[in-house]
Amino acid sequence: MSASAFPVPNGHEAHSGGHDQHSGDHGHHGPVLQYQPGLPLTRGKLIMWLFLSTEIMFFAGLLGSYVVLRFGAPVWPKPHHVHLSEPIGAFNTFVLICSSVTIVLALEAARANRSGLAKIWMVLTLLLGMLFLGVKGYEYQAKFSHGIYPQMPHGLIHDKPDLYYGSAVRARLGEPAIIDKLKELDDAPADTLTAEQASARTRLQQVRKMVASPEQQAFDMAVVADQVMPLPTDGPAGDHAGGESGHGGHASGLNDIFPWLRLPAVIPGGTMWASTYFLLTGFHAVHVLVGLIVFSILLLYKLGPKDAGKIENAGLYWHFVDLVWIFLFPLLYLF
Amino acid sequence: MSDSSPTSDHASHGPITREGESADDRALHAHDDAGHGGHDGHGGIGKYLLVFLALCVLTTMSFLTYSSVWPWRDQPHVGWAFMMAVSCTKALLVVLFFMHVFWEANWKYVLTIPAAMMAIFLALMLVPDIGMRNRMVSQERALYMPRASDVRLLEHASESKPLAEPAAH
Repeated sequence: MSASAFPVPNGHEAHSGGHDQHSGDHGHHGPVLQYQPGLPLTRGKLIMWLFLSTEIMFFAGLLGSYVVLRFGAPVWPKPHHVHLSEPIGAFNTFVLICSSVTIVLALEAARANRSGLAKIWMVLTLLLGMLFLGVKGYEYQAKFSHGIYPQMPHGLIHDKPDLYYGSAVRARLGEPAIIDKLKELDDAPADTLTAEQASARTRLQQVRKMVASPEQQAFDMAVVADQVMPLPTDGPAGDHAGGESGHGGHASGLNDIFPWLRLPAVIPGGTMWASTYFLLTGFHAVHVLVGLIVFSILLLYKLGPKDAGKIENAGLYWHFVDLVWIFLFPLLYLF
Repeated sequence: MSDSSPTSDHASHGPITREGESADDRALHAHDDAGHGGHDGHGGIGKYLLVFLALCVLTTMSFLTYSSVWPWRDQPHVGWAFMMAVSCTKALLVVLFFMHVFWEANWKYVLTIPAAMMAIFLALMLVPDIGMRNRMVSQERALYMPRASDVRLLEHASESKPLAEPAAH
């Protein structure tokens, strides 16, 4: 920086005494530098940016470990294997982008002293954020309904159709509640079952025989896994549009036809996928939630020019949340 | 950058050293939490809508890789590179215009560059321990870890539907 970057004050500040007045940089003392107390921005904004730079590193750690885990993994599930719906993800991306625009417009309106308009934009932002969380919840539900949970007590996913998987299926079939249900199903007259349920009953009986057989082979377990929850097939775009609701060609699994069954299922690489997916989207959703709380608090203010600084800081945070999703969407849904 | 710098004297996030702004003015701004006294010379709703439009177009573009018109479906790396390029463009647009960084003074580099460097460093440091953890594994571990062959096994199993008679038992 040249000396001219630090303008000489007009003489009302005490400098190293001795010289009479400052008329420019060309005095015999050389350039007089003025002490700068800090970065030239308001305290709130500075703190928000410092916070955001820690957030950059937080999400860089998460995203970095996801990428590294994903590409270091021997096998990683395809999005359709884990019931991810790309159109829904794209829709959520659109929702967040819209909310970024509305918060920016709220800031502009507040600066222009149009607090009524600012409130409308703020409410819209809040609603869009809620819509995002709602869609996220719907997506989570689609995972949960297929036994994909972040951890074991609820999760039904096994990585490999091996003998351990077979014993897990056997253990589940041996639970007292399930034994009762199975007996009920076996004794049900054929005319009380739909054609689908009747054929599924036969398949279930065969699966029970296979897992109980002492000379079971690895391929038998693959057959069992395929009966319990087949891997959705890789269709071109559009084919899988209804995948989230269970019509993507995998509704024929025993777990789908008999929801009480909840047999262990196999998605190769699915457990690590579930850990990373729920961690990344979960932390992002928590950030969205915090943003929504901030917006709700801001709505208590008048949202005039005096509050523009607050809106700006909230907006900075919100744009960052949008930014994270911009990377999460392709990494999770399209890779 | 210079063409879009604020013309208003009271934009507190303009270059700190703008001539004609006295130390008193700056002190005032520093203590004024509301910050912006008047309008800033930048922004404008039209600009934001333009950015919004660009973001929508870019999202559609990355979504294209998923659709059947994408010509490199058999080469996923092309799609990945494309999507990352699109994502970086989108991120840049959001940071520059929605977060107003385009119009900010030079302090922006103080905060963003170290954070970005540390973020990249952080991710790179994960590679040897985590990314390469499956390069050399014990035989036992290799036996129990999921493999691409498991996917083929499952697909093969589904081809043999309907379930044959309880498979030779």
